[in-house]
Amino acid sequence: MITLSDVSKIYNEGRPNAVTALHAVTLTIARGGVTVFMGPSGSGKTTLLSLVGCMARPSTGRITLDGAPVSGLPERFLTDLRRRHFGFVFQRFNLIRGLTVLDNVMLPAAPLGEDPRAVQARALARLEALGLGPKALMPVEVLSGGETQRAAIARALVNDAPVLIADEPTANLDTALTHRFLDIVAALRDQGKTVLLTSHDPRIIAAAPVSAVVEMRDGQVVEVRS
Amino acid sequence: MNALRRQRALADYTIAALSRRKVKNLALVAVFSLVVFLLASAMFFASALRQEADAALEGAPDLIVQQLSLGRQAMISADLIDDLASIRGVRDVRGRLWGYYYDRVSGANYTVMVPEAGQMPPPGQVIIGEGIARARGLEWQGAPLFLSRKQGDLNRFDVAQTFESDSALLTADLLLMNAADFRAFFSVPEDMFTDLAASVRNPRERATVVDKASRAMPDARFVTRDDIARTYMKLFDWREGMMVALAAVAMLAFAIFAADKASGLSAEEAREIGILKAIGWDTRDVIAMKLWEGGFVSLGAFLLGTTAAYAHVFWAGAPLFAPVLKGWAVIYPAFRLAPGVDLSELVVLLLLTTLPYAAATVVPVWRAASADPDAVMR
Repeated sequence: MITLSDVSKIYNEGRPNAVTALHAVTLTIARGGVTVFMGPSGSGKTTLLSLVGCMARPSTGRITLDGAPVSGLPERFLTDLRRRHFGFVFQRFNLIRGLTVLDNVMLPAAPLGEDPRAVQARALARLEALGLGPKALMPVEVLSGGETQRAAIARALVNDAPVLIADEPTANLDTALTHRFLDIVAALRDQGKTVLLTSHDPRIIAAAPVSAVVEMRDGQVVEVRS
Repeated sequence: MNALRRQRALADYTIAALSRRKVKNLALVAVFSLVVFLLASAMFFASALRQEADAALEGAPDLIVQQLSLGRQAMISADLIDDLASIRGVRDVRGRLWGYYYDRVSGANYTVMVPEAGQMPPPGQVIIGEGIARARGLEWQGAPLFLSRKQGDLNRFDVAQTFESDSALLTADLLLMNAADFRAFFSVPEDMFTDLAASVRNPRERATVVDKASRAMPDARFVTRDDIARTYMKLFDWREGMMVALAAVAMLAFAIFAADKASGLSAEEAREIGILKAIGWDTRDVIAMKLWEGGFVSLGAFLLGTTAAYAHVFWAGAPLFAPVLKGWAVIYPAFRLAPGVDLSELVVLLLLTTLPYAAATVVPVWRAASADPDAVMR
């Protein structure tokens, strides 16, 4: 379970260009479901995911992960939490250009010192499961939009993270690919993983696998629908 | 085991990262190699000059006595050999025959010497330095060398061998001749020598011996081994000083290069670091990866630069520096320095080039990697 208590995030704090991205958010996110954060641009969805995924620290308030406070931890502990608990799919997917699909998927495991053959086998299994096995050795530049997204999902899952965080994952996808993505999300939910998404897309919000929708506006949670 | 695997994985990623930016990294290695090449060439050249000085001094006598006439060196009488030998502490006094010969054919001055008994070529034969062999095209044994006497007639000598010496700088223009041939060629009477050379039993008594000898031979000049050493040091220090100046320019270029590198990362590099951190890389992992990158680049440039410098100085005869630093004689620019590398200097060069570069690489990376990675989410 992930909890946020009275969490605020101010960028450029103390400077004239300070921006309050989140304001006193209190929220509980259950394990094992699919939660969608929706709201207009600038409503704080991405900031909230960054805080939950230990990619940034709150300016005030407290975040806990399975009861343990994480918001005040030093950087190296946050990195460890990111490795063990979270897999990220970024809005632009952020695969490293020039590397093969397989190399990209193996990248999160590189600093762990695991047997490279085991990591490779795991990465290939993830790619196979997402229908990208035949493209494993191709450079990422040749992938289509949907394939790039699936490669990013495979990368997010290679360390078997229990929580998948995806920021606007279907923003650039057509209807067919969006449905394919939702199928993947449903499969992950069935495996017991927690999926946190941000989206404007009504097809995502109305989709079957979604268990909760958090509506945000002006840096605040205005409604939580389960 | 995990630590090794981790380093291997980071190194693998680094190699992939380097090959992704081939053009940029090859240009980087090329510039870096050029700086190392200049530094290493200067260092090898200076080292070789010191080696030449050491080799030259090794065979120098403790004391040389020269006859002065009108303030200039003149031939010295063989009678003075006994006078000098009678001074306590002096031993092995011998007369030396040597001089200079201007060769109109090659337009160069040769140093003509009569070696000690063991190295004396047979009558009619000469041993020549590499420079003479090259200048006169006499690169085989038995080749005839025609030299013109002051009387205008030509004398034929056969080349017994080409001189092999550790001190190429001093032997390139050297021509060794039999004593009888020397006297006949230069018209030197039997009882005269160019100068006298002597050993002193106790090197600390050289000054005392010179003091006694100068009283016995007031019209002679005495040159000790220490004087020769000082002259060589002045000669080689000047040349080494030029090398240091060149090295300083190369270091300055390197400092500018490193400062430019340290000034920041490209937006693409910063973004990549953000991605790596977001997917679970630690700040230490990113820095380790960049250290590998710096290591590959700087070590590669070091190896390329030093290998090229070695070839430049010892195989090609340092064509970039030689015209300025070696040539007081026509034949010198073509000769090769004896290979010799001071390992400690090489280590210093390695540290001077790799450590500042690694530091220059790591500082901006550390700054980028220390920030929260949430910027990549946006």
